[in-house]
Amino acid sequence: MDATRPPRIEMLGVSRTYGVGTADEVRALREVSLTIVPGESVSVAGPSGCGKTTLLNLLGLLDSPTSGDVQWDGRPVGTLSDRERSHLRLTGVGFIFQRFYLLPTLTALENVELPMRPLRTPRAERLRRASGLLAEVGLDGRERAFPHQLSGGEEQRVAVARALANRPGVLLADEPTGELDSGNTRAILDLLVKVRRDRDATLVLVTHNPEVAARASRHLTMRDGAIVQDVREA
Amino acid sequence: MRRFGRGGRLRHFRLQWVLAVAAIAAAVALPVVLISVGGGVSAHELANLENAGYQIVVSAGGSHGISGAHSLAHEIESVGSVTVACPILSVAIDAYNSTASTASMTPVLAEGVIPEEFTPTLGPTESPLFPSPLPLGDPTDSVHYANGSYSGPASYDVLVSTPLAGGYGIHVGQSIVLSPSTNKSLGVAYNVTGLFGVPPSILGPTGAFAVLLPLSDLQVLTGYGPRASASVFDAADTIEVAVTGSVSVNPTALAHVRDEVQALVPLYSVSSLTQEAAQLQAASGVLTGFYLALSSVGLSVGLIFLALVLLRRVETDRRSIAIRRALGLPGRSIAFGILGEGAAIAAAGALAGTLAGYVVVESLARWATSTVQETASLAVFDPTTLAAIALGVVALSALAGAAAVRAALRVPVTEALR
Repeated sequence: MDATRPPRIEMLGVSRTYGVGTADEVRALREVSLTIVPGESVSVAGPSGCGKTTLLNLLGLLDSPTSGDVQWDGRPVGTLSDRERSHLRLTGVGFIFQRFYLLPTLTALENVELPMRPLRTPRAERLRRASGLLAEVGLDGRERAFPHQLSGGEEQRVAVARALANRPGVLLADEPTGELDSGNTRAILDLLVKVRRDRDATLVLVTHNPEVAARASRHLTMRDGAIVQDVREA
Repeated sequence: MRRFGRGGRLRHFRLQWVLAVAAIAAAVALPVVLISVGGGVSAHELANLENAGYQIVVSAGGSHGISGAHSLAHEIESVGSVTVACPILSVAIDAYNSTASTASMTPVLAEGVIPEEFTPTLGPTESPLFPSPLPLGDPTDSVHYANGSYSGPASYDVLVSTPLAGGYGIHVGQSIVLSPSTNKSLGVAYNVTGLFGVPPSILGPTGAFAVLLPLSDLQVLTGYGPRASASVFDAADTIEVAVTGSVSVNPTALAHVRDEVQALVPLYSVSSLTQEAAQLQAASGVLTGFYLALSSVGLSVGLIFLALVLLRRVETDRRSIAIRRALGLPGRSIAFGILGEGAAIAAAGALAGTLAGYVVVESLARWATSTVQETASLAVFDPTTLAAIALGVVALSALAGAAAVRAALRVPVTEALR
């Protein structure tokens, strides 16, 4: 990966503290600085409670730092309104969660099509693209299935297809294989690596699993809210 | 297809939905019933006014307050454009069937009129109900009246309403005793010379028991005629005034004639039916407002229930909302979803309430007691009004959904996704 490319996401001395000023105050992230360039694949590992998910939430604009600055393509996001952050999340980020988080009342096709709705994409185009994405993740013919009718591996495939709906530049995956068996784990990882490569997307994977972490080209290790190791593969 | 993984949750949502729709339906049914029945009665009365054969009414405060009715009617007829003026005296008296083996008494409404003046004041719906000319002896009622001396021979003719004749077994050619009190010995025997029908009324059958006789006869019978025994001389309750056709449809010309009549009778009230119709419409508008205010109590309860249902939905859908927010769906799309659901519940409630109101009114019109039945049968279901009520309820659902929208937009995304 070309580390000289201008950064896609940059964290500058970012800290995140929950329950500031209370007896339950928790410093989840401590002055973290991090630069991620376009097309990079990054794994984030570390023990439970070390701040991995907090880091991912800050990268994906789901949370705001208590101090420090997060920049997207050189643009500080701390000053963005809630609406602007939502739009950036909608168009720039694809989230993949450990528990899939598909909407239970929507079919697989509707789940994938959902993020396209606010962008006023014509319905026919939305459905065409959603069908194409489901086919791409190997779920051709399962468009009308509801989440409860899908296996765990299939649900995560739908979640990957949904994450790709608006062709985002960044994919953020939080323990994407945490609830899958080994066969499905490998399949999902193959899929993530493929879509990252095909689309030249940036991939950030939070994981406990060394097998998952090994699929990335850069490995961050966290402990007590700080990045203690940052290794790039040659 | 089962849309939820957990059937219990789905049933729970459905129950909430159904209860919210029922609450709003109950709240909507009340104004639908009140406004449609109230509006129907008003419309019926307005139609009666518009169909009357007279256009101006002279009246006095209290009962039988007009004096010198015969001569006053002649004076009013001298006003240009006035075609006829008919004094009417309305008194509750008792009727006895003189042919029955045991004399039974019935309270009836007696109306005294000048026969030839009365017929032109009948509207198109009333006119066919009366024989023409009225078979009440002297058509001008001047012979018996005899310039206020009441020394001329009385006709002793009376017309009996068909409900009274039917209920009492009276036929034309028979006689009936009319008495100003329950003492039959004070009564006078009258010849039944004809029958008249009764227009549909919301007063029930009692109001249909009526007799019609010459004005001077009723004045003498009840003591509201001769100067010596009456507080008012030659009394009447109203004088109904008919004008020429061209004036009757011209409000300005009609007002001019009314002013001229008023000048003749400065101590009495003179109003045109146009005015009365306007007053009735104004009163109807006030009543509608009152009905809506009354209904707003029920509607408030329904909308509070809706607000609670929507808040509960936000509570149970926290994760779904957080997922949507995490995916970047804007707050407004989540707000529209909640408001849309509120509007759908409100619309379903409004529709169900309108149907329930319609069914209630139709049921009353078919199976209620006679007076209620008659009133309900007059109900008018005005699509504009019903649509306005439904739209108002749907619009108010946005208010009910505001708290839920606020709560949804405050769902902490990262916390809800843990």
